Amino acid sequence: MSNLFVRKATGMVRSWSVFDAFVYAFFSINIVTLGFYSFSQMYFFGGGMINALIVSAVFLIFEIIVYASLISVMPRSGGDYVWMTRIFGGGVGFILAITGWWFTLWLWTPVYGDMFRQVVMVPILGVFGLKDAAVWFAGAGTPLFVSTLIALGFVALVIMLGMKTYARIQKYSFYAGMLGLLIVIVLLFTGNHDKFKAGYEANATALFGAQAGAYDATVQAGTDAGASTPLTGGTLKLVFLTLPWLVFFNLWPNWGATLYGEVRGATDYKRNFSGMAYALGAVTVLGIVFFLGVAKTIGWDFYVQSNGAWWNSVWYGAAVPLPVWPYPALLAVFLTSNRLIQIVVVLLMSCWWFGWAGTLFLSSTRVIFAAAFDRLLPEKVAELNKNGTPVNAMLLMVVPALLVSYLYAYNVAGFYSITLAATQGIAIMYFGTAISAIVLPYTKKELFEASPIAQMKVFGIPLITISGVIFAGFLGFLLVEWLFDPWLNTGGEGAGLYGISFKNTNSIIFLVTCYALSAAIYYGFKSYRKRGGIDMDKVQTEIPVE
Amino acid sequence: MTTIFFATDIHGSDICWSKFLNAGKFYGADQLVLGGDMTGKAVIPFIHEGGQNYRVTLLEQVFNITNEEELTDLKKRVRSRGYYPYMTSPDEIAELEKDPDKVSKIFLQEVLKVVQQWMDLADKKLEGTGMKVFCSPGNDDMDEVDDIIRSSKHVLLVEGKVSSLDGHEMIASGWSNITPWATHREEDEDQLAVRYEAMISQLKDPRNSIFNIHVPPFKSGLDEAPELDKDLRPVLAGNSMIPVGSKALRTAIEKVQPLVTLHGHIHEGRGSVRIGKTLCINPGSMYEQGTLLGAIVSLGKNKIENYVLTTG
Repeated sequence: MSNLFVRKATGMVRSWSVFDAFVYAFFSINIVTLGFYSFSQMYFFGGGMINALIVSAVFLIFEIIVYASLISVMPRSGGDYVWMTRIFGGGVGFILAITGWWFTLWLWTPVYGDMFRQVVMVPILGVFGLKDAAVWFAGAGTPLFVSTLIALGFVALVIMLGMKTYARIQKYSFYAGMLGLLIVIVLLFTGNHDKFKAGYEANATALFGAQAGAYDATVQAGTDAGASTPLTGGTLKLVFLTLPWLVFFNLWPNWGATLYGEVRGATDYKRNFSGMAYALGAVTVLGIVFFLGVAKTIGWDFYVQSNGAWWNSVWYGAAVPLPVWPYPALLAVFLTSNRLIQIVVVLLMSCWWFGWAGTLFLSSTRVIFAAAFDRLLPEKVAELNKNGTPVNAMLLMVVPALLVSYLYAYNVAGFYSITLAATQGIAIMYFGTAISAIVLPYTKKELFEASPIAQMKVFGIPLITISGVIFAGFLGFLLVEWLFDPWLNTGGEGAGLYGISFKNTNSIIFLVTCYALSAAIYYGFKSYRKRGGIDMDKVQTEIPVE
Repeated sequence: MTTIFFATDIHGSDICWSKFLNAGKFYGADQLVLGGDMTGKAVIPFIHEGGQNYRVTLLEQVFNITNEEELTDLKKRVRSRGYYPYMTSPDEIAELEKDPDKVSKIFLQEVLKVVQQWMDLADKKLEGTGMKVFCSPGNDDMDEVDDIIRSSKHVLLVEGKVSSLDGHEMIASGWSNITPWATHREEDEDQLAVRYEAMISQLKDPRNSIFNIHVPPFKSGLDEAPELDKDLRPVLAGNSMIPVGSKALRTAIEKVQPLVTLHGHIHEGRGSVRIGKTLCINPGSMYEQGTLLGAIVSLGKNKIENYVLTTG
């Protein structure tokens, strides 16, 4: 629209910087926290990691189109909750969004805590010579719970500081983290395997008290664990089988997608799309570069074996020669004996966690507030204290998260095995959103036709519908794999590849409890409000125009 | 008990205005209250290219119209977003580009034309219902709008006045604190404080009253807007939110503690919050999508019987 015909009015802001949107999306698919963590757990797959990264990115482009499109058609509306509510009705939207954006985040809390200790506490304590403390923090049970408490403290602090302050912390963290990662990549590409092997032996002992011969012992422990994931190759089927685990890392380019101010046109769609797509592309390329650097100097086989050795110890109690997670940044600084460089790199790399973790409860807060404003939660939960902190909403996240973290940290009844359910809960919500995207041009024709994406069609079919079909298909594949894993992948026996199938009672109980709880809240409050004279169906129903 | 339906910031959307007029019957409300900013923000030129052909750029998408049906359909789409279709020619467009002041005149002409249509529609639809619309134009609304509202039988201009809504006194103002856009009705906090006090001093029962003030109170959570740089560009991709509400209003609410306050202005600020005992509501706005966001508030003597935000 020509600016000549737009008057100065409240909210007529200019388009935001694509680079800023890129930074936000880039942190959401955080290669160091989510990426290094999930790559390391994927030591037992048959599909090549580089192949899997590329294939997943192709599918996730359609996720980006779906979200950029929905944001353009219904901006500032509250995201998945409102999109699904308006297209499917109140119940479905509420149950999927509350579970996806609120309850599932309880399970993410100990995962954030685990990443905190692996990326921040253990390496920093190690390079500062606090060997015993570093090894203690890497241990099971109490160390994980303590780390989660510290991580929760940081998240609560961010909520109290507000997004204005945290958005700045994120930007500084981006630059610091990128500098750290650049040094890691330089170390990986300029080093050689012999130097790494010697550095590993020396530092594993000096920093973490490993026995002499740690390198060979790690190779053996990794081999015993069944470490086998290749760098490249694998059949298409094997590559696809890696995706349900890999998306733990990269299913989130849409996490912080925003659109404020008035939508002026298709350019706004393109800016939103670009911010997320550039982030996905950059992270995918970084992942490939990282893998190639690892293969060159650390050695791909050793990398996978060290990961296998560590997770086999965490999950199944096997002995592990290096008593801490083989954090790639740590392995990279083993290439230098300069303690100052080690300290600087580890500190810079810790910014990847600090710039990312503060958003743990961001979406949860928004959903809780939206539900309270819809009178589906008590008014009290949306109250702010004198400093503007949503104390009650925070408690609704922190207290259950503490309980879930306890179950997770102490692996009560095998709770540790349901890590991937954290991804599953959100993927189910995304599936609902993808379906709403598919039908939007047909069920909300007028809304679609008057939107900035009305002319984006392929052979006459709206691009949002086509992208929704592909993204929903991809999510459907993930959901089927997760749910029927043992039958599909191990002949109906064993744990399968992902550990959260219907055979994992904990996983099923967790999901069913979450959905039952959100359904109980929705229908309970609906009934309660009806008795008070408010018809919740009516307040969500479109008013007749004529 | 009195039930009111409140909506705000409909910015020229025909669909939202029609829904607003139907909302009383739909939700069972006794009276309708319209917050400020009823006028649209953009004119969309329909450039005549001979015969039945027009070229229209809507939301950066070019539409080539070739027949009457397409023309009617696109005009409807433009109006549904709150924009004003303007039939013109390539020569006039060239002339307007040389003299932007003429565009302002066209804007005013189109805005007033639509406001008049809206008043006519309101008088027709509300006739015999016993319902009135209590309206106070907002900071984005030109002064000329007021005279047209005054001419309506069922839409009451309540800016700067104390009105009675079935026993509850209501003060109303569409004026806001200073914005980066230098809009039609904005002033500094000291002047706002004087404006509020002039109305509050006339209230007989302040604690049982309604404040219908377009701008939300400062730091209420209803006033969170993206932080902008000097070029009016959201910083940090819109992730940095700052409070932009009125400090004078917050002080007034804290002092008077009315029953309920109704706000708009910040479309993203949908929600409700308590300041002391006062319930403050900003239903937000999604006028571009033709969705009427609103609030139903049932008022008893010295208490709120019930309230809910609506999405219609």
